[in-house]
Amino acid sequence: MIRSTLTVLAFAAAVPASAETFRWASQTDPSTLDPHANNSTPVLSFLGNVYEGLVRRDRVMGIEPALATAWEPIGDGEGWRFSLREGVTFHDGSDFTAEDVVFSYERAASEGADTASWFAGVTDVTAPDDYTVEIRTKAPNPIFPDSIANWLIMDSGWAEANGAERPATTEAGYATLNTNGTGPYRVTDRQPGLRTVLEPFDGWWGEDRGNVTEGIFTPIDNSATAVAALLSGEVEMIEPVPVQDADRVEAAANVRLIRGVEARVIMYGFSMDKDTLIGGETDGNPFQDARVRQAVAHAVNVPAILQTIMRGSAEPASQLVGSAMRGYSDALPDRPAYDPERAQELLAEAGYPDGFSFLLKCPNDRYINDESVCQATVAMLAQVGLDAQLDAIPVRNYWPELREDQFDMYLLGWSPGTFDAEHPIRFLVATQTDRIGTWNFGGYSNDRIDELLPQVQSEIDEDARQAMLDEIAQIVQDDAVYVPLYVQPLLWGAADNVDLTQREDNFFNLRWVTVN
Amino acid sequence: MLAFTIRRVGQSILVLLVTGFVAFSMFTYVGDPIDNMLGQERTQADIERLRDQLGLDQPFFVQYWNFLKEAAQGNFGLSYRQGRPVGEILVERLPATLELAFVSGLMALIGGIGLGIFTAIRKSGALSSSIMALSLIGVSLPTFLIGVLLIYIFAVELGWLPSFGRGQVVDLGFWTTGFLTVSGLKALILPAITLGLYQMTLIMRLVRTEMLEVLRTDYIRFARARGLRERAINFRHALKNTLVPVITVTGLQLGSIIAFAIITETVFQWPGVGLLFINAIQFVDIPVMAAYLMMISVMFVGINLIVDLLYFAIDPRLRVDRSAAKGH
Repeated sequence: MIRSTLTVLAFAAAVPASAETFRWASQTDPSTLDPHANNSTPVLSFLGNVYEGLVRRDRVMGIEPALATAWEPIGDGEGWRFSLREGVTFHDGSDFTAEDVVFSYERAASEGADTASWFAGVTDVTAPDDYTVEIRTKAPNPIFPDSIANWLIMDSGWAEANGAERPATTEAGYATLNTNGTGPYRVTDRQPGLRTVLEPFDGWWGEDRGNVTEGIFTPIDNSATAVAALLSGEVEMIEPVPVQDADRVEAAANVRLIRGVEARVIMYGFSMDKDTLIGGETDGNPFQDARVRQAVAHAVNVPAILQTIMRGSAEPASQLVGSAMRGYSDALPDRPAYDPERAQELLAEAGYPDGFSFLLKCPNDRYINDESVCQATVAMLAQVGLDAQLDAIPVRNYWPELREDQFDMYLLGWSPGTFDAEHPIRFLVATQTDRIGTWNFGGYSNDRIDELLPQVQSEIDEDARQAMLDEIAQIVQDDAVYVPLYVQPLLWGAADNVDLTQREDNFFNLRWVTVN
Repeated sequence: MLAFTIRRVGQSILVLLVTGFVAFSMFTYVGDPIDNMLGQERTQADIERLRDQLGLDQPFFVQYWNFLKEAAQGNFGLSYRQGRPVGEILVERLPATLELAFVSGLMALIGGIGLGIFTAIRKSGALSSSIMALSLIGVSLPTFLIGVLLIYIFAVELGWLPSFGRGQVVDLGFWTTGFLTVSGLKALILPAITLGLYQMTLIMRLVRTEMLEVLRTDYIRFARARGLRERAINFRHALKNTLVPVITVTGLQLGSIIAFAIITETVFQWPGVGLLFINAIQFVDIPVMAAYLMMISVMFVGINLIVDLLYFAIDPRLRVDRSAAKGH
């Protein structure tokens, strides 16, 4: 039997008028269709078309009602009460009720679920009635509703009937290949790594949905092939467009380049907890001195990197989050100026007038043009007397090396999952423990920040919270804990005849696509 | 004959075991799958739990032994990326690779022999010289460059052929084929040319050289002297004697076509086992890498075994030598 012919026939019977097929390609296939098995952008972005959360993000990243229509704090910050939308059904026709939310909490927070960290502060989730859910937290959590936009709700009856009560992480389960959400599209064909087909769910409660009647997703690994597929009209949208092909896509007929800024900040980090450097003969560890780290910040010519390597597509960053994120500190809009003389002064003050040599570790296939950025940095650091020995390796070796402390300085990109300034502080700056500071490879530790972090997490008052975040941002910059470089660009290519929305978290929503 | 076969089979198994051992000792350096399997909010405890669950905390030879034990029972484990049995995934992807290899092999054979004969007979013509010059490109240009070039000419500029994928596929239950639909056949053309070009030029040059050699021999001169027509001399007498080495080389090249389809499949997003292997390397999907490498080495070892046995059957001297050696 011919699969696509059949789908076309079945589809023609259901919707006789104006069939609009939309084909898109991305570099990564979602590794699973289970919404709680892998907390990664390719998976959650794709499943956002099929499943829904209590809340969702709109086109400009704001939080808006989805399966919950309203929410309010319980008592004095004991938790949050969500009122659920009535009359919502899953794709298989069963009703959505509070029981499904409680089930989805237990599933998403279970041991082994990759989404469990979202619920670290949650003590219990109860359903007083069919359309109310109460989520209690250990400490007041003002941003809880913001932090669960990617917590997708699964039908409890369906999961139990198919033995999918727990997320399938290492062994594929029923929910790895099959879906049953409440979202605007349902999966009608799933061939892992090859092709996945979405069709509109007729019983969807919402209205904001474009005219796509069949969405076909294909992963294309090779970016040159993806660009060719877009230019030849075989797909209507690709992401990402490689930086070096951006001009070409922009100039080509019938396609356009959609340029945006991703939430990911690219930065340098330093080894601060080692006694000596790996890549040099220097006594002690110069990077323990904040002046040396500040010198690096002044020595890297970010405008030049943006102009030559990123070809004008990226924006400079002064903090660990970009300016569009919640909690961004307006008081610190500028990164340390490019000033090689100041860098040399700082090095001399710190006792290294002749510089020193060290190991710079970089990935070569993780971020846009990561290796080139590091190579340029090596040349810039050489101008102030710092001798960086670059070791650029594939990302699959990179994280293990960082975990084993095999670096003196390293490149890191961070995209805050909650779109809030608290996120990088929790993972990159806080003193390392089992749960927090898990990406603080350099071993930075600051008592004041550790004291402020729990307060930030539980402060209800917006102004007081922002004041604390401002203070932390100031400490991070003064101490040059990290040297933020730029916010990574987001480059999509699309056919001229489709309207679509590029969201800052690099999520792709099929319901915002209109084929003209 | 039996003793020879048993010894050869034994040697083949040894080769397979050594290949597996080398492969597993390399996997440690490919990278760590953990970071791809867990999101950025993972804790140290999550990392250790998963490492333990996958057996990654064990030394590689223990991992290899466990793999062998399971593989002997036909179980190649679960893919780290997809969570599905590796055997199932390989079977799903194999038809795409085999169809591509078959078409490009056939193309290389027909094109190579045809052009080889032509350039041998018209060895000083302008057309032959340009074919010979062009064949240098086939030998020297890297596969991915040819692929990208073909995509830009025939998919982007002319819009005649698809730039990626397999087109519409017909599912026969045990096999998915692209041979039965127009889009499936169109999708085959560019990747088949890309994959087969090198083999085609190789066969062409081989046929040409062999043919020139044969055409110089006495029996061809006698045939000419007898007044046979050129066509009969070239095709009935000369070509036949050219084909023996060509068939040997082609047989051996078939293995490399399947094994080296990796690059072509990546350029054309061709959903075969080669692309699967590349994805597996990027993800450090050890079970998939292990099963693929074993599959490829089984294939090569199998082909060599058959060739060895064929030689034994064809060449009586091998047998004589053996019995003579025994006598002493």
